[in-house]
Amino acid sequence: MKKSSIIGIIIIAIAIGVIISTYADSSTYANFSEAVKTQSELHVVGNLNKQKEMVYNPQEDANYFAFYMKDKSGVECKVVFNGTKPQDFEKSEQIVLTGKMQGDEFHASKILMKCPSKYNKDQVEVSAHTAQPSKI
Amino acid sequence: MDIQFVGEHLLPGRLGQFFIILSFGSAILAAVSYYYATISGAFDNSWRRIARIATWLNTTAVVGIGACLFYIIYNHLFEYHYAWAHSSKALPVYYIISSFWEGQEGSFWLWTFWQGVLANVLIWRAKSWESPVLTIVMVSQAMLSSMLLGVEIFGTRVGSSPFILLRSAIEAPIFARPDYLSLIADGNGLNPLLQNYWMVIHPPTLFLGFASMIVPFAYAIAGLWTKRFHEWTKPVMPWALFAVMILGTGIVMGSFWAYEALNFGGFWAWDPVENASIIPWLTLIAAVHVLLAYKHSGHSYFTATFLTLISFVLVLYASFLTRSGILGETSVHAFTDLGMFWHLVIDVLIFAAIAVAFLVWRWKELPITKKDEETYSREFWLFIGALVLTVACVQIISSTSIPVFNAMFGTKVAPPVEPVQHYNKWQVPFAIVIALISGFAQFLKYKNTDSSKFFISIVVSLVAAAILTGILVYITKVYSNPMFILLTFAGLFSIIANGKLLGEALKGKWKLAGSAVAHIGFGLLLIGALVAAATNKVISVNNSGPIPIKGFEKENKSGENLMMYQNEPIKMDKYTITYLNDTTEGPNTYVKVNYKVYDKDGKVSEEFNLYPNVQINPKMGLIASPDTKHYIFHDVYTHLSSIAPPEGNHDHEGHTDEENYLDPSTHEVNIGDTVRYKTGFIVVKGINKDAKIKDISLNQNDIAVGMALEVNTPDGKYDAEPIYLLKAGQQPVDFGKNVDQAGLKLRFTKIDPAKKTLELMVYQKKPAEKKWIVLKAIVFPYINLFWAGSIIMVVGFLLSIFRRNKELKTA
Repeated sequence: MKKSSIIGIIIIAIAIGVIISTYADSSTYANFSEAVKTQSELHVVGNLNKQKEMVYNPQEDANYFAFYMKDKSGVECKVVFNGTKPQDFEKSEQIVLTGKMQGDEFHASKILMKCPSKYNKDQVEVSAHTAQPSKI
Repeated sequence: MDIQFVGEHLLPGRLGQFFIILSFGSAILAAVSYYYATISGAFDNSWRRIARIATWLNTTAVVGIGACLFYIIYNHLFEYHYAWAHSSKALPVYYIISSFWEGQEGSFWLWTFWQGVLANVLIWRAKSWESPVLTIVMVSQAMLSSMLLGVEIFGTRVGSSPFILLRSAIEAPIFARPDYLSLIADGNGLNPLLQNYWMVIHPPTLFLGFASMIVPFAYAIAGLWTKRFHEWTKPVMPWALFAVMILGTGIVMGSFWAYEALNFGGFWAWDPVENASIIPWLTLIAAVHVLLAYKHSGHSYFTATFLTLISFVLVLYASFLTRSGILGETSVHAFTDLGMFWHLVIDVLIFAAIAVAFLVWRWKELPITKKDEETYSREFWLFIGALVLTVACVQIISSTSIPVFNAMFGTKVAPPVEPVQHYNKWQVPFAIVIALISGFAQFLKYKNTDSSKFFISIVVSLVAAAILTGILVYITKVYSNPMFILLTFAGLFSIIANGKLLGEALKGKWKLAGSAVAHIGFGLLLIGALVAAATNKVISVNNSGPIPIKGFEKENKSGENLMMYQNEPIKMDKYTITYLNDTTEGPNTYVKVNYKVYDKDGKVSEEFNLYPNVQINPKMGLIASPDTKHYIFHDVYTHLSSIAPPEGNHDHEGHTDEENYLDPSTHEVNIGDTVRYKTGFIVVKGINKDAKIKDISLNQNDIAVGMALEVNTPDGKYDAEPIYLLKAGQQPVDFGKNVDQAGLKLRFTKIDPAKKTLELMVYQKKPAEKKWIVLKAIVFPYINLFWAGSIIMVVGFLLSIFRRNKELKTA
């Protein structure tokens, strides 16, 4: 057999190994009730509960941000994030958390949020400067 | 009923839409004519003439689209959705250029523009390759123009036009009014993150890189099509190197923009959007190396062709990933879907099908050798190096494509939790192998090499690299991980081996210079990226307080953000930092942060100020941009994570003067007494029985008494005289005195004749709400090696282009 064919086979084998390992490294999307059962880090998708309070007091602790999130199955859980409050968090439409449960709290190591910011959603904003009827 | 709308400028849009249709039609005409020009052979020039005219027409149309769009944005014609969505009146002209490509349509336009420019260069330079190569280029041009069409065909909208009117794009009640335009005062403006000079030049460079990837693809197809299997590998070289150089420059510019303007805290994050652009770059680099191997030895024809073809298909795949919205949950900065998902898929499939069809068609005629390569030959190792690069790409693709697999198979696999570690785990070993090969392959000759000579010549470089590795690893402190030491060694070996080659190049073998310089740059880039990524340190670690972070006690993680009050110095790493003040320029607030380093004697040995800024954008909230102090051997990077809300928020109507003061303290005093307050004391000097009150006339029976006071503050003495007034037959009133310098308000409120005492009330001002910021600071050591390596690599590509171009002329 040609040397390059042998090498080709080896390369394909490595490539397959690489792809399999990608899936070994990959995580899963879950909800809070599933997260309770495991100690591994996973992704939880959900929405911010805007009725409940959000705690971020940089004067006390600049690295503590807590809020309540409802996952897609409707289960609510307190989330604690070791960092600053992401800007415009109140306006987030959807949140993807990465982290794991610690007792009753979900400890997030990463927060990715989607905002209905004007940059991806079209909402015509009518300016306040509506034409004034001219005074005669 | 049609409404007659007032104030709309419909002409530029209609003209622009006409140019879009023209560019699409002319691209198809050019492609078809070039196709017939190719199959009719060199005897008949009539098809080629038509094709050229169509191509020029296409270029004119593309320029026309750009001109119309620019006119619309420049004149703030907000009746057009694109201008409304991506610009505003306040935008300076140079950012109008960036708002041009903020949207997908504008960036598609940029791509067609560069592709049009390249098509014209090809007409001028490609000679006998013109017809087959331009057939493919114009097919690609037609595909890109179709993305801009925005026309309904059989009930589905094809493409997205930048000339769509606001009232057609969005449904809202105001569009029922003929004068709706007068209600739209301004556009949405440009994303503040893109308001950066790098955003003016990074996208054009990147898209020139993407656009130029079509040329090697077209040459490879042309070679198969016209059965010039060997010849195409020569003219393709400068083009492939050009694409690699420009795309590489564009990627590094993006990386620099992310480092300088975004608060990601790094220069490479393995974000899907970054990955999408680096994959075709790597495969084309692999293709260039295998093409060289083929040119010199006749080996690896199929691999060379395949890699050249797949590179462009991967460019299209990248544009599918970033533009179809499929990355939604995994990337922060992909575009959102404009309803072109399937259009983009078809684009990828068409070019993949062209590649496969031509390979299958000519399969039996391909010049594939049955001979075995020699192990001690350069072509063998060029081939191996290219394969390793390809496997590295397979790893990046498979991880980046997780959302695509999810969409295809209905699975719900989430991307790796720690993407950076995940990619580095794989890419570091690949980089080691590639760097080593790029070093020793330079000592091998094509065809065959004397193995003993080869080993003698590399042993010196290996030893030198090993010694330098020891030193460098010690200085840069990357000894924590054996893989890092190996990568440092491999990078240094590549630099030394190629440095030796460069030495010979300077002695006269100038031909070798390009490859030597590019590989030296690559080696430096690897070491720079490794050291900066492995040893960068967050120095704003919050471990001062005795209270651990709530809820994180178990993990004992300290936070990476530091809270600081104005004018209160904080010790951070070796720096003493102070938040001094902030200034507002336009929409940006620049916060001045002073960094000082004290030596043992308490003298300042190093001092600088950084001005990280935030923009409080009414639409996007707070946008932070970092500021970085650059040293030769390290950078100090600082960005704001949070800032005190701006003053004036509490300023509402109906509050009294009293609200500004704390609860008063009441003292019974007599002449000569001293009253203490928080930061000083007050002495009662005496009584003024003839106190005068402005605007109040006193009768004989009225009593107006002033209390002469001396306020002693740390900064000085101030006199004050509050007055007590008793008008006959009325309730007593008093006139307090403010001592603003001391932050006091003093009232003389009672005279007690029985006890012979006076009553003094002291009001102290509430301490002003202190301003604060939360910041994060990172030290990046040796990051300049990364930038320097990138620049040197680009210079190497440029030298190689000159060499290959010269070879074409002499051949």
